[in-house]
Amino acid sequence: MSNVTTASTTEAKLWGGGKSPFNVEYGKVMMWYFLMSDAFTFGAFLIAYGTVRFSTNGWPDPNAVFKSYPFAGEGTNAPLVFVSIMTFILIISSVTMVLAVHAGKMMDKKGVVRNMIFTIIGGIAFLSCQAWEWNHLHSEGAWWGMNPFMNGDGTASTSNFTNFFFTITGFHGFHVFSGVVINIIMLIMTLLNKFEDRGHYLMIEKAGLYWHFVDLVWVFVFTCFYLL
Amino acid sequence: MSQDTHAEHGDPIAEIKKVTIILSALTIIELILGYWMIGMENAGLRLAVKGSIVILMMAKAFYIVAYFMHLKHEAKNLIMTIVVPLALFIWFITAFLSDGNSFKNLRNTFDPHYKAQSTIKVESKEHGTHHATEEAPAEKK
Amino acid sequence: MSHEAVLHGHEGHDDHAHHEHHETFLSKYVFSMDHKMIAKQFLITGMVWAVLGGLMSVLFRLQLGYPEASFPFLESILGKWAKGGQITPEAYYALVTTHGTVLVFFVLTAGLSGTFANFLIPLQIGARDMASPFMNMLSYWFFFAASIVMLSSMFVETGPFSGGWTAYPPLSALGDASPGSKSGMDLWIIAMALFVVSSLLGGLNYIATILNMRTKGMSMTRLPLTIWALFFTAVLGVLSFPVLLSGFILLIFDRNFGTSFYLSDIFVNGVGALSNEGGSAILYQHLFWFLGHPEVYIILLPAMGMVSEIMSVNSRKPIFGYMAMLGSLFAIAVLAFLVWAHHMFVTGLNPFLGSVFVLLTLLIAVPSAIKVFNWLTTLWRGNIRFTPGMLFAIGFVSLFISGGLTGIWLGNAALDIHLHDTYFVIAHFHIVMGVASMFGMFAGVYHWFPKMYGRYMNNSLAYIHFWVTMAGAYMIFWPMHYEGLAGMPRRYFDYSIWESFKQFADLNRFISTVAMIVFATQLLFLMNFFYSIFKGRKVTTQNPWQANTLEWTTPIRPGHGNWPGEIPEVHRWPYDYGKDGVDFIPQDVPVGENETSH
Repeated sequence: MSNVTTASTTEAKLWGGGKSPFNVEYGKVMMWYFLMSDAFTFGAFLIAYGTVRFSTNGWPDPNAVFKSYPFAGEGTNAPLVFVSIMTFILIISSVTMVLAVHAGKMMDKKGVVRNMIFTIIGGIAFLSCQAWEWNHLHSEGAWWGMNPFMNGDGTASTSNFTNFFFTITGFHGFHVFSGVVINIIMLIMTLLNKFEDRGHYLMIEKAGLYWHFVDLVWVFVFTCFYLL
Repeated sequence: MSQDTHAEHGDPIAEIKKVTIILSALTIIELILGYWMIGMENAGLRLAVKGSIVILMMAKAFYIVAYFMHLKHEAKNLIMTIVVPLALFIWFITAFLSDGNSFKNLRNTFDPHYKAQSTIKVESKEHGTHHATEEAPAEKK
Repeated sequence: MSHEAVLHGHEGHDDHAHHEHHETFLSKYVFSMDHKMIAKQFLITGMVWAVLGGLMSVLFRLQLGYPEASFPFLESILGKWAKGGQITPEAYYALVTTHGTVLVFFVLTAGLSGTFANFLIPLQIGARDMASPFMNMLSYWFFFAASIVMLSSMFVETGPFSGGWTAYPPLSALGDASPGSKSGMDLWIIAMALFVVSSLLGGLNYIATILNMRTKGMSMTRLPLTIWALFFTAVLGVLSFPVLLSGFILLIFDRNFGTSFYLSDIFVNGVGALSNEGGSAILYQHLFWFLGHPEVYIILLPAMGMVSEIMSVNSRKPIFGYMAMLGSLFAIAVLAFLVWAHHMFVTGLNPFLGSVFVLLTLLIAVPSAIKVFNWLTTLWRGNIRFTPGMLFAIGFVSLFISGGLTGIWLGNAALDIHLHDTYFVIAHFHIVMGVASMFGMFAGVYHWFPKMYGRYMNNSLAYIHFWVTMAGAYMIFWPMHYEGLAGMPRRYFDYSIWESFKQFADLNRFISTVAMIVFATQLLFLMNFFYSIFKGRKVTTQNPWQANTLEWTTPIRPGHGNWPGEIPEVHRWPYDYGKDGVDFIPQDVPVGENETSH
């Protein structure tokens, strides 16, 4: 008899089943694990970059490479200026995305629409900045397989500096682009009252997770390529 | 309407504002450190600054994941299933980078040609836009 | 609909059961979203690949067994790849490479976990279907597309990729390195990229389903071990396949855009030094094996889970040490990520780093041994029923032990330097990973066939299949250990030209002969399988194996939605066999008044 009582008390502590143990719907669980796997994609890229950098004797100084901004003259020397603008654009667009998610939780359609528009603008602005930077570097002779820059110590550099730069920022830019597309779809669905009818804005939350992840990746890309 | 877990932490808008300020501040500190590093000669100090930048980067990542992605307010089990697998990165990074470093040392030791090649200085390009080493010290305030 | 309703996973699926009447042929058999049909699609596609991959091994074993002989029929099958009835070296390497790729990824990953994760997860946890049936369908179709692309790579002018299934650069990165490195390699990468997408879609679905869709009372510690194994498999896939994808993206850039991520200091005869500098071929190996090692467990864990389940059912005993089994599954899953460089001991790996990898590798022996002991203790004094499924499960344990022990040899860097890239390695991984997982798959098919098709498979044919395969597996791979210890390297076209390997000519002929017999026996299995789908003895009871798990509470031929009425509630763990003198108590039976807890 005592066994039965212990069995039923442990029973109470166990999850009863029939609903999510994490208190979230399955789509969000999937989104989180998708982002985890994507983190391993980016992680592998950045670690590969680190490995090659560690196995090479010299490496170009990022401040000597990324030192111009749009409409600046030839020979401008302003390292870190343009990339800090890009970084802030992405941070601010992340903030507006949080505000959109919050507005969604409050069932505030206007707030969602306004903040989604800001987020989309931020995303497009970031992509434009990146397009300019790629174009600028390309005009200096940098591309996949071509590296006009020399190492920080004045020795000849291998092409892997530009190889990794274009591959990884390109892959990140591709994520930003898909994020913008997702956000535009979410905006249209909001305007069509899809979420209002459903009674919840959970889709916005999932799109938000993705957008923040893109911002998160930029934190790492920014540090690894421009600062270190 | 909203899940009961949300009730526990105060005003979300205030929290968003706070995190925005923290993220901006961390970024600005990173940029200051980045400027400071330009033309820095002392290799040890350089390494220390790079280390601090990495720590700041991790702090930024924490704030984005915990507050913007809302992970801090999720169920504890969900947090664990996300954070524990990410711990794999520790060994992932350590092993890859240390083997990369060992590859470099091997080549420098056993491949004299490689070693010699990578110490030859190249003349700076005509264009005048890439004098990395000459201009960088002048930039330092 | 409120938040609460969304959180209840089942809400959306409740109406599935009533939909069946207006299903067309296309929506029922081809673009099906029913997890059971998708499982069958995975299984049958996997079988097609298994036959192709097996056939390839027969062809290259023919070359190894009879290096001087000429078989005119080969020329009629392979055309210019077997001029004069003898396989050309290029064709030999293409066959070996494709055999490896196909068996590892298409048969033992998609065919094994694709089949059984899809089939068993919803049935055993008590769900109507997967979390996202649509993504599940996509997962199959991406796999199908990968299959088509891989198949088409065999028909290009320059032949399929022939640089080994690991696709190391520079053979994979330089288009001119070998005939197979041209468009064959492009198609190989595309097929693998599609495959990664398929496995990610599937894996995310499996994880979300296991976490979110369990029926009432099905707590995590009441899950059958099959589900736990499939869960860890999915986690391994979701975390390690992206790394392979990154590695492949860098490889594509190296091939097509003039980068040198993996290339450095290459001198080509007649061309001169290539301009690629600064890359590292070892980097590719690191990235590849960061997937490659977890991949071994992606293949092995589902087999382990199914074997645990089948052994418990057919021993009429609870599985010995459920929590220990769980813990060892977890330990294996974690260690799987930490040991990849033990495939690279001879690459010039930092010796200190290598010794850390040795330590971590040997640690895997601990959870593996726990599992083996628990299987043996489950059998101990059990009331064993030697069904075909059970025989294959026992065969799995035998193979896992003998293959695992040689793994301990190979895990030691000092020994590995001698044994690396010899037939010893071939023997090791074929026994522990290839044949053992194949046995797990056979066990699963024989055991769950009645649930899949509502009919039994023929037992006599199954017994012949088992004994020939079991004996054959050891006869093929056991001698390879000796060849490997004698230094016979793998991936060579013809060994007869070396004086020192002449002594193995008879042995190689013996291995090849047995391989052909074993392959023919697999055709017997296929005959049995397809015959039984249509003509097998009908299942008349709901629970033919007297098992406890939930899939046996569904109707004999469950429709889409699995349970016609309510989903049963779970009251106990799945291993109440022989408890209090009762033979078996299914999971949906409430705990009785005077019942002891397990």
